[in-house]
Amino acid sequence: MMRRTSGWLLTAALLPALLLSGCGRSGGNEDGVTTVHIYQFKVEIAEALSAMKAEFEKEHPEIRLDIQTVGGGTDYGASLRAKFSSGDEPDIFTIGGNNERDMWLEYLEDLSGESWAGDVKPLAAEQMTVDGKLYGMPMNLEGYGFIYNKELFQQAGITEKPLTLSALREAAQKLQDAGITPFANGYQEWFVLGNHNVNVAFAQQPDPVAFIAGLTDGSKTFAADPVFDQWVDLLDLTVEYGNPNPLSTDYNTQVTMLASGEAAMMQQGNWTQGQLDGIDPDLNLGILPMPIDDTAEDNDKLYVGVPSNWVINKNSPVKEEAKVFLDWMVTSDTGKRYITKEFQFIPALDSIEGTEEDLGLLGAEVLAYTDKDQALSWNWSRLPNGMPNELSSSIQGYLGGKLTKEGMLKEFQKNWDNLSVQ
Amino acid sequence: MVDRSKRSRLMQQFIFVGPTSLFFFVIVLIPFFLGLYYSFTSWNGISQHTSWAGLRNYLHIFTKDPSFLNSFWFTAKFTLFGLVLTNLLGFTLAYVLTRKLFTRNVLRTVFFVPHVIGGLLLGFIWQFIFVRGFASLGAATGWSFFNLPWLGTESTAFWAVVIVFVWQNAGYLMVIYISAINNVPKGLLEASKVDGAGRLQSLMNVTIPLVMPAVTVCLFLSISWSFKVFDLNLALTKGGPFKATESVALNIYNEAYTISRFGMGSAKAIIFFIIVAVISMLQVRATKKREVEL
Repeated sequence: MMRRTSGWLLTAALLPALLLSGCGRSGGNEDGVTTVHIYQFKVEIAEALSAMKAEFEKEHPEIRLDIQTVGGGTDYGASLRAKFSSGDEPDIFTIGGNNERDMWLEYLEDLSGESWAGDVKPLAAEQMTVDGKLYGMPMNLEGYGFIYNKELFQQAGITEKPLTLSALREAAQKLQDAGITPFANGYQEWFVLGNHNVNVAFAQQPDPVAFIAGLTDGSKTFAADPVFDQWVDLLDLTVEYGNPNPLSTDYNTQVTMLASGEAAMMQQGNWTQGQLDGIDPDLNLGILPMPIDDTAEDNDKLYVGVPSNWVINKNSPVKEEAKVFLDWMVTSDTGKRYITKEFQFIPALDSIEGTEEDLGLLGAEVLAYTDKDQALSWNWSRLPNGMPNELSSSIQGYLGGKLTKEGMLKEFQKNWDNLSVQ
Repeated sequence: MVDRSKRSRLMQQFIFVGPTSLFFFVIVLIPFFLGLYYSFTSWNGISQHTSWAGLRNYLHIFTKDPSFLNSFWFTAKFTLFGLVLTNLLGFTLAYVLTRKLFTRNVLRTVFFVPHVIGGLLLGFIWQFIFVRGFASLGAATGWSFFNLPWLGTESTAFWAVVIVFVWQNAGYLMVIYISAINNVPKGLLEASKVDGAGRLQSLMNVTIPLVMPAVTVCLFLSISWSFKVFDLNLALTKGGPFKATESVALNIYNEAYTISRFGMGSAKAIIFFIIVAVISMLQVRATKKREVEL
């Protein structure tokens, strides 16, 4: 009897241990082949990435890539944290710049010495640089503004690109008179408002970084800022000439409205190209700036930034192999071809060239603005964590009539004071 | 000999209770105390170093963070309506479906099915219904009810979440109520009929007092469900518009993972735990008193 129970006991005690060990990951090096684990969030390129992986492995038979894509509806940041706290750390992963760079800094390998580091466009390098050291490889550039349907503009008799707020209002009126919805507003999405729309007011500051620091130390306020005041005029304009129920219109609905010719403009970026092509590949599209006042010169700008960066885990046993892969991606012809042709990325490195045929109309226009130095910065990665979501819900409160303009700016301030405390 | 049987009994207890307590320890207790520890630190959820913050997180929550109180207010209101409506609907369904209806087995399944679908999926399905389905119904019928921007304004979004919650959970409570109603002795009901009681009177004076144990269970379940509601809001409204439907659980999640203040999130979770524990204890004590035995 006793013997039997001990046997059972042993099993009972071993079972959890067995379960736990099952979660572990096999080592990096098996039979001379080194495995590099990659964790990334861009779902759009998942398929092309695995095709690229096959080509890389053919050229480098000693390295095997294991790519995991977690994104779309799932919360990438949370799952990445879970991976790190469970000890299952990837060798290469993707993060945003500025705040996220600082949060992950103690895990990041310094990449300043890599052969490609000097080719990174300054606009892209800045958000991954600390004390002159580069900690990541910018994945690509993206830019946004008002994407517009050139044919509908012609139909409504608009001949010139509206570069001022008044011109934009006139254009919107003409479109409306022609029976076309001027703006498709996807204001249900927090990132449309809290990242992109309100960024206009940050980026149009003479010095956005100093302005943000000023908000935190109390020397600046939202309510007293003239640029924020003007930005609200633009926001009002889009709603006045926009689709009904903007607060329950999501990203897909917004994009579909433009693609189907129901609306003439939408505040979005070149990342919508693929989806737009999927609905109607023959659309004649362009991107307009988002003017907040009536001076044409300083309004003729698009907002360009880096959505994500490849970084290497400093503690990884295979970081040399990881560097080989990143290097291959931006220096070999195959890698370059994948970046521009397959991912349809606007390259963030000067050594890679993007043509209109590869990038699509929207991407080419963003690249042109960037190269002409008519690009303003993306600032949401500099705001306190979680601030974009709060900004978005305050703006939604304003659009829904719950807050006045002053109330909205006060709400901005209150949330800033809460979130800027770490 | 005595010693041996005692040891064997101990061993048996260990075998049967051991694994469960082990998992309880690993999955519930240890994380709880870890959370308690983190609530006194300022940790961003990533760094290998944490710094001691004392009571700063708790002070910050009560002085500088309007969103937490706001989400508490939503959760309290939501719990009140969710609780009453789910139980009323669940009991009504159960009462009707214990009568002799020839479709009753099919109907029981139909009403129970929503509970089997996960909350996240339900949220997305209903989001589609509210945004697209209602809009086309509104266009077809012209009823203003369908033309409301259901997820677009604060008050309608609140009711939208309540509606989906009730729809999801009433079926489960119905099953509990059905078994309780079936256990009411037929003799008592017949006796009350003989005494001249109408349908309503026998419902109020015989059936309801005898299903009070089920009411205790159902109230407890619906309180804990609606207090912890997370996936429904996440999928349906993401807490919007203007944070009008942000539940406490969602607020805590955002604090820890979006805002990256893990310490602050843990402090909120501890406060939440204390409040839920107190409310649950009060509720169980209150309804226990009303239970009757034959």
